[in-house]
Amino acid sequence: MQKGKDKMPISALENQVNIDHINSVVSLGQKAGSGIKKKKPDCKCAVIKSENFSFYYGTKVGVKDITMEIYPCSVTAIIGPSGCGKSTFLRSVNRINDLIPHTRIEGRLLVNGHNVYDKSTNLVNLRQQVGMVFQKPNPFPKSIFDNVAYGPGLHGVKKRSALQQIVEESLKAAALWDEVKDDLKKSALALSGGQQQRLCIARALATRPNIILMDEPCSALDPIATGKIEDLVDKLQHDYTIVIVTHNMQQAARVSERTAFFCLGELIEYDWTGKIFRNPGKKQTEDYVTGRFG
Amino acid sequence: MRHLIRRITDKAFTILTGTSIVLLASVLLIILGPMVWRGSKAVIFKDTVEFRKMQLDLFNRGNPAYLKIESAETESFRKTVYEIVDDFKHGIDTEGLIDQTKQVYRQLGKELRYKEATNEEYQRIRSLARDLRERLQTAFGSNDKKVIKENLDYVLQYRHDKDLADTAAVEFFTLAEDFQQSVENIDLNKRQQYAGSLQQIEEIIFRLLGPKPGDPLPALTMDRYGATRWDLAQKLLDKLLWSQQWIQQEADQPLVKIRVSRAGEFAGTKLEPLFGYVENNLEKMLKPEFTVYWQYFIDDSTPGHYFGGVGPEILGTLLLTLLAMLFVFPLGVISAAYLVECASDNIAIRIIRMSINTLAGVPSIVFGLFGLAFFVLFFIPLFGGPSKPCILAASLTLAVLTLPVMIRASEEAIRSVPQSYKEASLGLGASGFRTFMRVTFPVALPGILTGVILSLSRVAGETAPILFTGAVALGPLPKSLFDPTMTLSYGSYDIAVGDRLAMMVPHNQYGMVVTLVLLILCLNAIAIVLRARVSRKLRGQ
Repeated sequence: MQKGKDKMPISALENQVNIDHINSVVSLGQKAGSGIKKKKPDCKCAVIKSENFSFYYGTKVGVKDITMEIYPCSVTAIIGPSGCGKSTFLRSVNRINDLIPHTRIEGRLLVNGHNVYDKSTNLVNLRQQVGMVFQKPNPFPKSIFDNVAYGPGLHGVKKRSALQQIVEESLKAAALWDEVKDDLKKSALALSGGQQQRLCIARALATRPNIILMDEPCSALDPIATGKIEDLVDKLQHDYTIVIVTHNMQQAARVSERTAFFCLGELIEYDWTGKIFRNPGKKQTEDYVTGRFG
Repeated sequence: MRHLIRRITDKAFTILTGTSIVLLASVLLIILGPMVWRGSKAVIFKDTVEFRKMQLDLFNRGNPAYLKIESAETESFRKTVYEIVDDFKHGIDTEGLIDQTKQVYRQLGKELRYKEATNEEYQRIRSLARDLRERLQTAFGSNDKKVIKENLDYVLQYRHDKDLADTAAVEFFTLAEDFQQSVENIDLNKRQQYAGSLQQIEEIIFRLLGPKPGDPLPALTMDRYGATRWDLAQKLLDKLLWSQQWIQQEADQPLVKIRVSRAGEFAGTKLEPLFGYVENNLEKMLKPEFTVYWQYFIDDSTPGHYFGGVGPEILGTLLLTLLAMLFVFPLGVISAAYLVECASDNIAIRIIRMSINTLAGVPSIVFGLFGLAFFVLFFIPLFGGPSKPCILAASLTLAVLTLPVMIRASEEAIRSVPQSYKEASLGLGASGFRTFMRVTFPVALPGILTGVILSLSRVAGETAPILFTGAVALGPLPKSLFDPTMTLSYGSYDIAVGDRLAMMVPHNQYGMVVTLVLLILCLNAIAIVLRARVSRKLRGQ
């Protein structure tokens, strides 16, 4: 299955390893399935559309000329080697990149048809609609209740009873309720790593977003916690648009409906997950998913 | 070999650090030890009956009935002292005796005018009285025993003169008799010397036992009571028993100070038993008792800090410190927040940062003068306030003094808050301000409180900035923010330059300094406990 111009001489053992690897990926791709999922009629999610979007850190290129569309009520994975701009693109969606000085953009990035980088964009509303979960769990040094209630509190929910309801719903949605319901006043820092990350997800869910961005959410967690979070993502995908950046190709294959492959700041390929892993269109994609580089 | 060298250097490092700790501890002990020991004497000491009298009069403290009994007990012992002294004085105080003769003569003249006497009688009595007066004065003024005896005998022969009986002239004879008695034992040549020494001795007894019963009350409060502390009384006793004289021990050498026993000086005279008596009976005259004068911290003080406590000073220092912290805390935190969060890295911001760092090193007297020129003379009158030193001006000056430290500490603290908290908060839709107030500030609070602790210590102990802007050496309790106040730091300075009085109240000076150190310790302890609690909550316990 070695396509492409560069035929590198490889040893027999390497060849065997490669074939095994490809076979395992293919089997995962089969699990992921292919085919077009129908958009659910009652889905209220948004669409992220990027049109020739570029992001520069000073003179250095973050991402260049990205044109893609992220579909509602599904999980989209973005994969690629380190430094290829996946996180940069993700963080541009809710403009968290504004914290970094001396940056500049070109093109348009539309959420729900509205350009995010437009002067008239209300950042507070944008970030309420677009939730984010970071790589390293970062709960505030407050109690579990205060962590989850932080978001709703910002957007005007003041009554104690309303907050308690939202906290309970969010924690249940994040599959954390049963573990913490006895003591919501406990400090969030006393939870384990996996629990903290689920708390961050619950915190993001509490603002009732339409889109959830996840920047390598499981990279700091052990396999069991990772499994729990992947189950969670699977459960949530029916109600939210989820974009997940990951290093772990098996994870991308497991959870996502579509996958985008970034490399050196450019979007190389964007297609159904099954196709990317079984039958990638570009050689670079194939090299990456077969593990030849990156 | 390398292994051995590494081991040696490790050991050397440990020893070096250990030595520096020991050095620090010993320096602290050397500085603080004597200070605390002597300062505690302001509160824990042996007092005397004079102290209790003073407490009753000035502060209404104590049992009046019991005190009366005590005073009566001491009276009998003190009487002896006064008697001995008076007795001796008669033979020495020639000036006084001469004055007394003049007085008697005048009195006699007045009586004669009221009495209906014939002209002849009047003249005779008058001339006789004048004659007696002259004779007495000669006797009193002479150093020659023979002359004295001659004149006194002359005077005394008129004792039973019928004209002079029942008149004021009887005084003449009492004076003559007394003088005769006392003169017998005195070396008349030494009279000048005795007079000088006697004055010193009387002064010491006045300081020891207070004013003589029957004498008019002195004007100054500090003169109205004797030695209020037993250690003071001991010092005065020593001064009483030993005089210091400069004598020339060797030719061509500077004069040497030696101690001479006063008892030896007055040997053979009527005053000699005084010294032994006072030494043996001082306890009965003063009734020393061990006491804990804790009201030292709340009592008002009297002029010169002679009696009383440091209550108003503590209040003044607390007021100034807390008010200054109230001004500097929001100002420092907000400035630091701006510098960290919003300021872009251009030349203006760099100049501001440099200025803040430079300001931290400016001498405090410069701040004092600045406070005077700006706050007292310009800023406060601008808003309609009075243009005089006041608490408001002083605390504003202190706030400006400690602002750089506060900004630096806050900046460090805010910078050390992990970026992830900020990202999380912003990602949830918080504005920059909400993020700062709800997330960044609580996490930076322990570091900011460290800045508060550093500032507290500096502000509480500063003297130069409040010198012209709000501190006063002695005055009433401040009634508003526009009044000046006494403070511990300024009070210590004032006593230190008050020379004569300071030597008399060393315990007060130490007491004030130790109170200042204790006050700063307490304020620091509160701030440290607060910081520890905030830290614990942040760490999740």
